[in-house]
Amino acid sequence: MSASAGRKNRGFGLSLLPNSIFAFLLVFLLASLWVPRFFSPGNLSTLLLQASILIILSIGMSLVIIAGGIDLSMGGVLSMCGVIMALCLSQGMHVLAAILVGLACGGLFGLLNGFFVTRMKVPAFIATFGSMGIAQSIANTLSNKRTIYWEEGSHSSILDFLGGNIIRIEFGPEASMIFYVPFLVVLTVIVVGCIIFLFKRTVLGSYTFAIGENEETARLCGIATQKWTLLLYMISGMMASLAALLVLIRTNSMQPTSGDGLEFQAVVAAVLGGNALEGGKGSLYGAVFGALTLYVVRNSLTLKGIDTSTTMIVIGAVLVGGMILNELAARHERARSRKS
Amino acid sequence: MTAPLLEFRHISKSFPGVKALEDVSVDLRAGEVHVIVGENGAGKSTLMKLLSGAYAADEGELLLEGTPLRKNSPKISEQIGIAMIYQELTLVPELSVADNIFLGHEIHKGPLLNRREMERRTEALLASIGIAVSPRTLLRNLSIANQQMIEITKALSKNAKIIVFDEPTSSLTSAEIAELFRIIAALREKGVGMFYISHRLEEIFEIGDRVTIMRDGKRISTTAIAQTSMDRIVEGIAGRRIENVYTRTPSERGETLFALRNLSGGVFKNVSLQVRSGEIVGVAGLVGSGRSEVARAAFGIDAYKSGDVLVRGKPLPRGNPQTASRAGIAFLPEDRKREGLALSLPIRENTVISALSRLNPRGIIRRRKERAAVQKYVDDLEISTPTVEKLTNFLSGGTQQKVVLAKWLLSQAHTFIFDEPTRGIDIGSKSNIYSLMDELVRQGAGILMISSELPEVLGMSDRIYVMAQGRIAGELSREEANHYAVIQLAFSRPEAAAEGGTPDER
Repeated sequence: MSASAGRKNRGFGLSLLPNSIFAFLLVFLLASLWVPRFFSPGNLSTLLLQASILIILSIGMSLVIIAGGIDLSMGGVLSMCGVIMALCLSQGMHVLAAILVGLACGGLFGLLNGFFVTRMKVPAFIATFGSMGIAQSIANTLSNKRTIYWEEGSHSSILDFLGGNIIRIEFGPEASMIFYVPFLVVLTVIVVGCIIFLFKRTVLGSYTFAIGENEETARLCGIATQKWTLLLYMISGMMASLAALLVLIRTNSMQPTSGDGLEFQAVVAAVLGGNALEGGKGSLYGAVFGALTLYVVRNSLTLKGIDTSTTMIVIGAVLVGGMILNELAARHERARSRKS
Repeated sequence: MTAPLLEFRHISKSFPGVKALEDVSVDLRAGEVHVIVGENGAGKSTLMKLLSGAYAADEGELLLEGTPLRKNSPKISEQIGIAMIYQELTLVPELSVADNIFLGHEIHKGPLLNRREMERRTEALLASIGIAVSPRTLLRNLSIANQQMIEITKALSKNAKIIVFDEPTSSLTSAEIAELFRIIAALREKGVGMFYISHRLEEIFEIGDRVTIMRDGKRISTTAIAQTSMDRIVEGIAGRRIENVYTRTPSERGETLFALRNLSGGVFKNVSLQVRSGEIVGVAGLVGSGRSEVARAAFGIDAYKSGDVLVRGKPLPRGNPQTASRAGIAFLPEDRKREGLALSLPIRENTVISALSRLNPRGIIRRRKERAAVQKYVDDLEISTPTVEKLTNFLSGGTQQKVVLAKWLLSQAHTFIFDEPTRGIDIGSKSNIYSLMDELVRQGAGILMISSELPEVLGMSDRIYVMAQGRIAGELSREEANHYAVIQLAFSRPEAAAEGGTPDER
């Protein structure tokens, strides 16, 4: 009995894949069949670039969610850090220095969230909801609610590089036939890759799961739970500021409202990816595919010429549909494990 | 002669109002399974909590290999090699077996985890006690039994010399129990000392080396398993007690108010019983024998598979507490703070809640009328409170129970199901509750009382049903009932007669 239970699950099984892969494949297939111009090199490149921002956010969100928390401040922190970086640039600061300032602000806000949650025992939902407001207000105040531009400066070449493409393959003369890989996508892949590596190969992953499953048990196992929780919120804040950098480079300007609602999309992506809001369960890959799923849907709607204000309806439907898929997959798995 | 692995010497421990342990001396040798038996509340768990460092003793000392242990805490006890295996597990389902076993003391290679080494050591540990599970399997994919094995392996990975098993078999199937026993035997070979707490007496003879019987916080005896018998153990567990505080006046038996006919569901099977007007019917049995589950299903809180609930001979539709309470059934739950009361509301609102539509027929709350109705019961039940507007949060356990009772009296119930009516209630209020129960049946109500406290069951009941393993193991009249008879039934295996397997299989 014990032997079979252990061995059977070592083989390949549907249950080993993050559930959002199925949702992603499904919407990708549907979009390719029904939406003209969706499955073209140019559009897929655009899709990747658009999705990068949400992928980064949802990775940070997932870390916090797996540990049993939530970070609703991500959108606000994105706006705030973006505005701060843009102001630094418009003041003529060196690009790299501006980026560092932005990332530091994000990390600082994350630390603040972590401090409220671990030391002050404020529920994560409330603590991060509060700091969302604070961050958004800072963004509005600093920018006077206006879009910030900056002059061409001595360091424009770095910005151009960051906004440029690494690979460019032309399948045909028209724009939709050009496949390109922007540097930002590469950056996203590197950052996400690093975090997943740390998550899988260091104690970060085990401790995050343990804290989310049962903080008391984790503490009794000798894990410094407060320290780790603090770290997770800090990573989440830095992810938000990194996403801000992406927005800033893509649009070559910064609006103080850029982050509006992005925290909810990040939650949707994470939940689609199988990250349970009660903690202790989830997958970073899952969140990546959750984010991609959302962007396939958005992109298709745009190509179909459907008004963006209906996007949230479809995203809501995708979330519920994805959750139903998750539940079906889980039931399938339970049924299988009962048989063995 | 070498000192025993562990020794409790003249241990006493009191909690406010209770003497939990009184001059208890028990020792544990390396490589033995020392079984501890006793009723609920006999002091077994308290003794083990002293070992795990959760409590400190008032008097007496704990000796580890002959050296007194001056201080203990959960951390210290882990360091000196004491591990507890509880019923509820402390593992992380989303992590692999190896990650769980090394959680908190991982093996590193530079900054990275050395998974290969952890998996190798896990494999060796698992092999050493003969468990065939891959170290890479996610814990959630293992059965409860296998998860328990992993918990044991985790204890071994920390070089535990003493392992305490607290009711380890309660959620295992017979095949899994056999597997557990095989592992316990392997641990015995390795020289690990084990305390084994169980309510299943037949297991003791299979696995134990010595048995200590505890009753009322005292050690009654310690004997080698080979030199004792089931009957002697049952006698030791039951012992003799002083009767007191119970008020019972004989009352007229009337019609059958409430009955269960072959009720089967989750953990209980084929339960039939009846309650007549004017009688208190006790339901005894060990914790986990399915008593509360039967009551909850009968009242419609949980679903059941088959059988009938009859109120005055008419079947009650299943799964709906509202119809049950309309039919005149009252349910006073064990956890009255969570299930019986809305703690943040005052006495008045808690009391009228089940009679709102009767008191306020047009849907408009008439507070004055409510207050008058509630005040009547507050006076009748002698609920000690300055005003009916006092928040129930601030009442004592006994007073809270009275408020729950008042609620059901106001709803004009005729059958009262009490689940552990006096748990957590002090002696004075207890006898108060007992005389209220007596008063209720004299006025023609019927009471079904589920209780873990034998003296209470024996003192109050006109008839007693004893449950074991989800079935009615027997019925005793007031005349037949005594400690010995009840305990013998409670420890019996009624399903063994009916069919194979255990009722705990899920």
